[in-house]
Amino acid sequence: MAYQHSRYGQCDSFFYEEEDSFHAIQAQKREQARQVARQHQRIMGMQLSQTTADEYQDDILAHMEKMEADTMPDVNSIDIQTEIQWFMRPYLLDFLIEAHMAFQLLPETLFLAVNLLDRYCSRRVVYKRHYQLVGCAALLIAAKYGDKKDRVPTIRELKSMCCQLYDDEMFTQMEWHVLATLDWMIGHPTIDSFLQIALAELEEEREVEHLTQYICEIALFHREFVSVLPSILAKSALTLARCVLNRSTSHQSIWTGSYDQTVVVALSTHLYNPSQVVARKYASGQLSSVSTVVEEFLRKQLQAQAMKQMHAPPTPTLTPVNDQTPDLYHSPHTPQKNHQNAGYGQGAWTPPDTPDDERYAPNDPKIHQLHPQIAYPATPTNEFESMAYSDPFHQTQQHFTAQYVQ
Amino acid sequence: MTPSAIEIMSPASPNALAIAAQLTTASTILWDPTYTSRPPPGNLRPTHAGTLAIGSRTDSSISVRSLGGDHQVPIMDKRHPSSFQQLEKLGEGTYATVFKGRNRQTGEFVALKEIHLDSEEGTPSTAIREISLMKELKHENIVSLHDVIHTENKLMLVFEFMDKDLKKYMDSRGDRGQLDPPTIKSFMYQLLRGIAFCHENRVLHRDLKPQNLLINTKGQLKLADFGLARAFGIPVNTFSNEVVTLWYRAPDVLLGSRTYNTSIDIWSAGCIMAEMYTGRPLFPGTTNEDQLQKIFRLMGTPSERSWPGISNFPEYKPNFHVYATQKLQNIIPHLEYDQVGLDLLSRMLQLRPELRVSAQDSLSHPWFNDLHQRQQHQSQMAQQQAQQAQMGGSNFQIPQGAY
Repeated sequence: MAYQHSRYGQCDSFFYEEEDSFHAIQAQKREQARQVARQHQRIMGMQLSQTTADEYQDDILAHMEKMEADTMPDVNSIDIQTEIQWFMRPYLLDFLIEAHMAFQLLPETLFLAVNLLDRYCSRRVVYKRHYQLVGCAALLIAAKYGDKKDRVPTIRELKSMCCQLYDDEMFTQMEWHVLATLDWMIGHPTIDSFLQIALAELEEEREVEHLTQYICEIALFHREFVSVLPSILAKSALTLARCVLNRSTSHQSIWTGSYDQTVVVALSTHLYNPSQVVARKYASGQLSSVSTVVEEFLRKQLQAQAMKQMHAPPTPTLTPVNDQTPDLYHSPHTPQKNHQNAGYGQGAWTPPDTPDDERYAPNDPKIHQLHPQIAYPATPTNEFESMAYSDPFHQTQQHFTAQYVQ
Repeated sequence: MTPSAIEIMSPASPNALAIAAQLTTASTILWDPTYTSRPPPGNLRPTHAGTLAIGSRTDSSISVRSLGGDHQVPIMDKRHPSSFQQLEKLGEGTYATVFKGRNRQTGEFVALKEIHLDSEEGTPSTAIREISLMKELKHENIVSLHDVIHTENKLMLVFEFMDKDLKKYMDSRGDRGQLDPPTIKSFMYQLLRGIAFCHENRVLHRDLKPQNLLINTKGQLKLADFGLARAFGIPVNTFSNEVVTLWYRAPDVLLGSRTYNTSIDIWSAGCIMAEMYTGRPLFPGTTNEDQLQKIFRLMGTPSERSWPGISNFPEYKPNFHVYATQKLQNIIPHLEYDQVGLDLLSRMLQLRPELRVSAQDSLSHPWFNDLHQRQQHQSQMAQQQAQQAQMGGSNFQIPQGAY
């Protein structure tokens, strides 16, 4: 196979270069000219955008901050849902993120969809069997509101994504229910819209942007961030991203500098256990492979920690990977109701002998040792590291199957 | 029970995962060519997505209950379209028909915009944008949305009633469509105030034209039809360039720019101002190229020297016919003796978007100075009247030292 492949491969390129070289060069030149033109257009667009920013940024920011406060979900209302539970939400979000990615929608569409979903769930009783339908309706509305027309999912496509679970008219009906329930207030300023303002000001490169988006998407999964204002979340995630990438924090304006320290710390504790869908999405080169960058960063942190612990007597023992994996995926990215008051530290630390039914050990004294008031990022432990990066995919399937398909 | 179902039920079975993957690979189903014509994206790996509610496939009705708490959720369809008496047709847009209507209970006139619902794809994106943006934009120079009524096959938006659109107003009032200078100044001021409010609230109207500006008997002008409007971010994202009715479309958009900003609404406003003076559209082009040519004939054909970077636009042609710049007063003789007005107009009709005046700045242009004085005078008069009325009234609550 390998031989054949290489031979044909060479032949192809040989003919191409010999016979089409003239046209190829012409095409290359045209392509280059197009590239240059696009680059110029981009620069002109940026300048134009700057004119608008100079003129209207203060007004627009004031309006966005008012709007975000008016369009927040209510966590306490979602708590009293009878059928749907917080632990189900990450599964729905994984689905929505995959769908969002498949349709190639804009980043803000995802954040808007999740906001619409949570706001609907703050006002209406949602049955378990309709949760995914609400999610699809939210994605559909978000795409129609802000995305390119030709990218908006069709109901046929959504229906097939839901394995024909719902009829066509259920989508239109649910779309209408969501719109009416939210009184048509769709213009929620998303995390991404605030992030863009901050990034424009700092003139940051793509890597910082992608890492911040990655952190923001991880934050979507956790109940504790549902009630944090998008502007605060965006600024805090940006601060954390710049810290991970070791960028200087000078020359930022008062607005960008007004992040929330506790949110930054809380975000850092959730870097260890991202949803595998999100981690996979951000492993792609187009998104600067930022999930790999974070992984690498955490590994280094771990090594530094291990070096320190060489001299500190009762070292936590390294745990074999396989012993722990089966219930890993039960725990990490799923905040549950009964843990809501346990504080920020819980995500970062899983003790070696987690009982089967327990996600974390909230009372473990080590948590408090590990999460003193130091700034981000909290240092991972050997155990956690070894578990977090074992492939949880099969466990996911198993877990999911057990939970839902029965 | 089918064998596969049994296997799924017992996760210990080695085949269970394979079947679960099959069942739950959203992407493989999505990219089934029988369902979609989209090209498949990169390789999506299977996930556990898509089976949240398996097992309850029979239920196809959605029942909705409120969660309670302090949220008041409107009851669906409590208002029936029949609570409005439908009167004559006022106009027909691209996706809607507008009727005059009367509220049967209050007798109040309203404008009813009927949007036909395409049952296939649900609520049109234009309606979602229009309604949600109009809910945010409450201003005296923007037509106000009272209500949204949804029936089986149509969506009815209930707007405040306005007597005419600017086009009809010009035809009925003006001398061959031309309006008198004081009216033009008042309308321009209100138009720019409406635009400034939109822009401050990060909304681009993207379809300003006389047909979309409504006038009432009090001489108020309000922006209407936000069907093409959208919220923008900073930095301004790329948009479709299929916006704005051709005659009022800015040259940068005609040249294919997708990163336009607030300045596209200003170009339209400039065209409208000229039209109010002459009674005729300023640039009545027939095609994209013709439109550009008509613009260049008046404004002069731009070059890399007058507009650095113009050759990078997708629709730029090096063989554009070269015209010299004309004076605006040749086209609009009425402005010959109004240098200040001419100055404002030329600031709005700049070919280069970055040179166009902003709506906010235009409001403090000296051309509007006499309007400010008149308004101040009027509001003082109104205040005095109100105070006198209060003095005479029974509830005598003017605070001490009010005079």
